[in-house]
Amino acid sequence: MTRILFSDKLDNCVAKWRSAGLTVIGPVQGESLSSYATVEKGTDLHLGMVLPDRSLKELFFPQTEPMLRYTIKKNEIETADFTPPSAQRIIFGARPCDASGLAIDDPLFGWDYKDEYWFQRRNESVIVTIACTKADDFCLCTSLKLAPDSTKGTDVLLRPLDKNRGWLVEELTDRGREAFAIISEYLQESSETALPTVEVPEKFNLDACVAWLQNPENFDSKFWKEISMRCIGCASCTYLCPTCHCFDIQDEGDTYSGIRRKNWDSCSFALFTMHTSGHNPRSTQSARWRQRIMHKFNYFPGKFSVNSCSGCGRCSRQCPVDMGITETLQEISKL
Amino acid sequence: MITQEKYRTTVKELLANGTIKMAIGYRPGSTSDRRRPLFIRTSEEADQLVLDSTCITNLSGYLVAEGLLSDEKRVGIFLRPEGIRSINILAAEYQLNVDQIVIFGFDSTGREVRPLQGQTTSDFSALLSEIRENPPLTTKEPLLERIEKMNAKERFDFWQQEFSRCIKCYACRQACPMCYCRRCIVDSNQPQWVNTSSHTLGNFEWNVVRAFHLSGRCVQCGNCDRACPVNIPLRFINQRMAKEVVDGFDHFAGLSPTQEPVLASFKKDDTETFIL
Ligand code: SF4
Ligand code: SF4
Ligand code: SF4
Ligand code: SF4
Repeated sequence: MTRILFSDKLDNCVAKWRSAGLTVIGPVQGESLSSYATVEKGTDLHLGMVLPDRSLKELFFPQTEPMLRYTIKKNEIETADFTPPSAQRIIFGARPCDASGLAIDDPLFGWDYKDEYWFQRRNESVIVTIACTKADDFCLCTSLKLAPDSTKGTDVLLRPLDKNRGWLVEELTDRGREAFAIISEYLQESSETALPTVEVPEKFNLDACVAWLQNPENFDSKFWKEISMRCIGCASCTYLCPTCHCFDIQDEGDTYSGIRRKNWDSCSFALFTMHTSGHNPRSTQSARWRQRIMHKFNYFPGKFSVNSCSGCGRCSRQCPVDMGITETLQEISKL
Repeated sequence: MITQEKYRTTVKELLANGTIKMAIGYRPGSTSDRRRPLFIRTSEEADQLVLDSTCITNLSGYLVAEGLLSDEKRVGIFLRPEGIRSINILAAEYQLNVDQIVIFGFDSTGREVRPLQGQTTSDFSALLSEIRENPPLTTKEPLLERIEKMNAKERFDFWQQEFSRCIKCYACRQACPMCYCRRCIVDSNQPQWVNTSSHTLGNFEWNVVRAFHLSGRCVQCGNCDRACPVNIPLRFINQRMAKEVVDGFDHFAGLSPTQEPVLASFKKDDTETFIL
């Protein structure tokens, strides 16, 4: 026997979680953009979309974040730390690719320095993922050896029933069980079966691509120039990506006082890792695009044994010149 | 279809006889409604060319990126009228030499594509003047009508709300053929003129800088608007600024490669006592 959460109980659940002090967040379709946002009622959630335009990453790693306030005095420097406001949160209706993205970035944010901003939010968030029963042309989780019902990064997996009636509940972690204990009165025992997950065709052979990338001879392949000729360096791919994690630390203010912030950065920018001397180790767009691909499928897995891509397809979906991970790895497969 | 076939042949001929070293056009994209930029150097590549009503990206920015024209050889490029205007502006601002550009002009109404006669920008001056006098009818945009009815305070609040979504990816800048500065002011960090943070103030600063710098230069190709990953209706800002420049300075950007840039020219008999 498994337990079922019926859709008509969602409002009650959201109310219950909220009265238990949890902020409820989920996919919301705004006037012109969809994202994961705070909701007050179950009916505010838009669970029908393939996935929100914006990824889950920004709830853990916002585009700009104050770190400390500094004041330079005659003989001392005064600093005051900012920490994110503490808030227990439940993210209801994450997509498996977005949830996986969080798990992929965990080792990165905890490797040499434990990023307290990331981990505070990770520890305070329960991720309730809904398995996908529909996909679009750009979804590619299966090409990354993930699936429309991957449980990576997920605390509770929900499998949809037919006719939007509700979900089968699979509690995967203690944190998930605790959150669902709060709403246990709304769960029902049942032997129903869930809808099958969507078939997402594999778009390329990942192992073959990775082998090509790992071959040092291909670092200088003319392929990089060819594929990147159309890249305009717009950074949309990196900023919408649930796993891209580069940031830049900036002081904002004047010489004597200001705020130190952590801002998103992107390898698509000409300024990315430019040296103070003016030397730019990646002075062309092709070198920058190569960096993005190499980082995701060669360097990152080399260090953390996992690819830095969860197959959400946002990079291809949004790219103004129709390139992204899919188009690039498909081309590599042909080499 | 016929237009596309004719142009394939023309491109092949011009490549074969050495008139151009490359042609920049469109090829099929990853879905049926997408087109991606194509760089044609060989006859085989010319066979990939598509030209239909979904070819909307203004490709002229590629001409000034990473030194494409520095060898003084000619490059062919597929352009709609807005694209031709942007070539004129780039030439007027000394970013390229129009003699190096071979234009393959086209336009579309509905799904119908038609070629535009001519090869160099001067061949299109009559067409551009005509567009200035009789701008093509655009579809009514309910949001624009809403914005136009707002008072200054409401408009400010509206844009503040829109800009709050900005993530400062600068896709709008990168997609714009007029944003060719080697180092954009927002990337200058010695000193840092503009905040890099994507908070309300930073987003506002960026979008205001962009609006001003494109006044009298924007050709309304829509590249920025389509590139913005958070769907800020950037086209309305640029349309409005273009209108202000036409009304205030009688300047319609991109009519000829020698037209004086409106914000970079100076007249001794200017009635204004203040220069921005
Ligand atoms: S979204 Fe496309 S054009 Fe923009 S940086 Fe990424 S690959 Fe390049
Ligand atoms: S690289 Fe592209 S497909 Fe992979 S996680 Fe990032 S945005 Fe999604
Ligand atoms: S501002 Fe936008 S519409 Fe205007 S020329 Fe630049 S990309 Fe085109
Ligand atoms: S493209 Fe959109 S999100 Fe990116 S910087 Fe421009 S306005 Fe902001």
